[in-house]
Amino acid sequence: MIDVVAQYRLEIQIEDDIVIVRRKARQLAQARKLDPFATAAITTAVSELTRNVLVHAGGGSVVLEEISDGERYGVRATFEDHGPGIANLELALAGGHSTSKTMGLGLSGSKRLADRFEVKTEKGVGTTVRIEKWQGL
Amino acid sequence: MHARYLRTLKFDELELASRRTFFRVTDEDLARLASLRSFAEKHTEAIVEAFYELLLGHPETAKFFSDELAVKHVKKLQRDYFLQLFDGRCDLAYVENRLRVGAAHERIGLAPKWYLGAYRRYLEVVREQLFKTFPSDEARASMESITRIVFFDMSIAIDTYIAANLETIGRHQLAIRELSTPVIRVHERILLMPLIGTIDSLRANQIMDALLLRVVEEQARFVIVDIAGVPVVDTKVADSLLKTTAAVRMLGAQVILTGISAPIARTLVQLGVDVSSMHTCARLQEGIELALQLAGKVIVDREKGGAP
Repeated sequence: MIDVVAQYRLEIQIEDDIVIVRRKARQLAQARKLDPFATAAITTAVSELTRNVLVHAGGGSVVLEEISDGERYGVRATFEDHGPGIANLELALAGGHSTSKTMGLGLSGSKRLADRFEVKTEKGVGTTVRIEKWQGL
Repeated sequence: MHARYLRTLKFDELELASRRTFFRVTDEDLARLASLRSFAEKHTEAIVEAFYELLLGHPETAKFFSDELAVKHVKKLQRDYFLQLFDGRCDLAYVENRLRVGAAHERIGLAPKWYLGAYRRYLEVVREQLFKTFPSDEARASMESITRIVFFDMSIAIDTYIAANLETIGRHQLAIRELSTPVIRVHERILLMPLIGTIDSLRANQIMDALLLRVVEEQARFVIVDIAGVPVVDTKVADSLLKTTAAVRMLGAQVILTGISAPIARTLVQLGVDVSSMHTCARLQEGIELALQLAGKVIVDREKGGAP
């Protein structure tokens, strides 16, 4: 059972929003005492996924949450866009495949950085990506 | 200039309609305002006088009105401004006109609090005059219409303050960006570029350009790029560093990347970023030593007598 302690919704419209979103993520991770490795991981993953929303869908939103399972705290980020969807999810998650002339590691890298990773995508409808990062035991 | 604010604020027919609905500025209100025109004309003088009595009587606002002539000029503007409330229209042209107010105030540095406070005084005087002139029912209805258009006006003025402020911030950001890509010569043919802050696409390009130009100018062989001050190194930043490295190499120099913290090293590995094309060091000091070593030089401790 995971409780949501606090919730923040942020819009992703312009490149400057990437900085705003990831700073908020870092701030939550630090406030919930995630160690420096976990903090860097969630901040970087949030940075990647925010940019994905911007580059591939032209914008969207993210909900950042402080979460707790009763023993530990964590940070959860849920990204939502109404873009074209990910045409080949398997390929995108394999990594090294880019549809925008970059490294193509955004989605696969974020998956490796997060403790939990979920993606739902539907062609022409949009994409939802959810990641969690928890305090170490 | 004010048309530009209209764009910045995304103020179009749709926004106008939505705002009018929210502030309850109906056609009936506009008609009532138009019918109050002669009342307004009759009392404008007294209203403007009361308005300036307040502004000039307060030291912090008085300083905005330097001399008689200036006061005379703004009083005339104020008269026009108040009378326009009773034009009985509330369209985009009216909004554009109202944008001037916030813009002008922002320009001279008059804070919104003074604007709002002065407007309160205006409403006070208008109310007094309305209830003196008309039966109370009519005065009340008129006051309501005036309140609606006045609040509508204030919302626009506040928006303009914000838009003007955003423009100022944008200009500052540009200025900071220009300052933020220094390239320092540490030694003969060794350059250092300390990166501090967020690297967005615009800055990434500036970094590459600034560095390449200096590499050619200084005939540099080694370029130390220190990222200790970069808060997040994601694939975008890594990508731009790798591209810069490739371009620098094309000019016959090598990049040494320093200032990599333990969490950043781990994050980059987890992301799957391959930085093997760069020399990397944890600290700047090691980077400088490496550059000197690769250049066939060495730092010698004088106490210990010289030879390494």
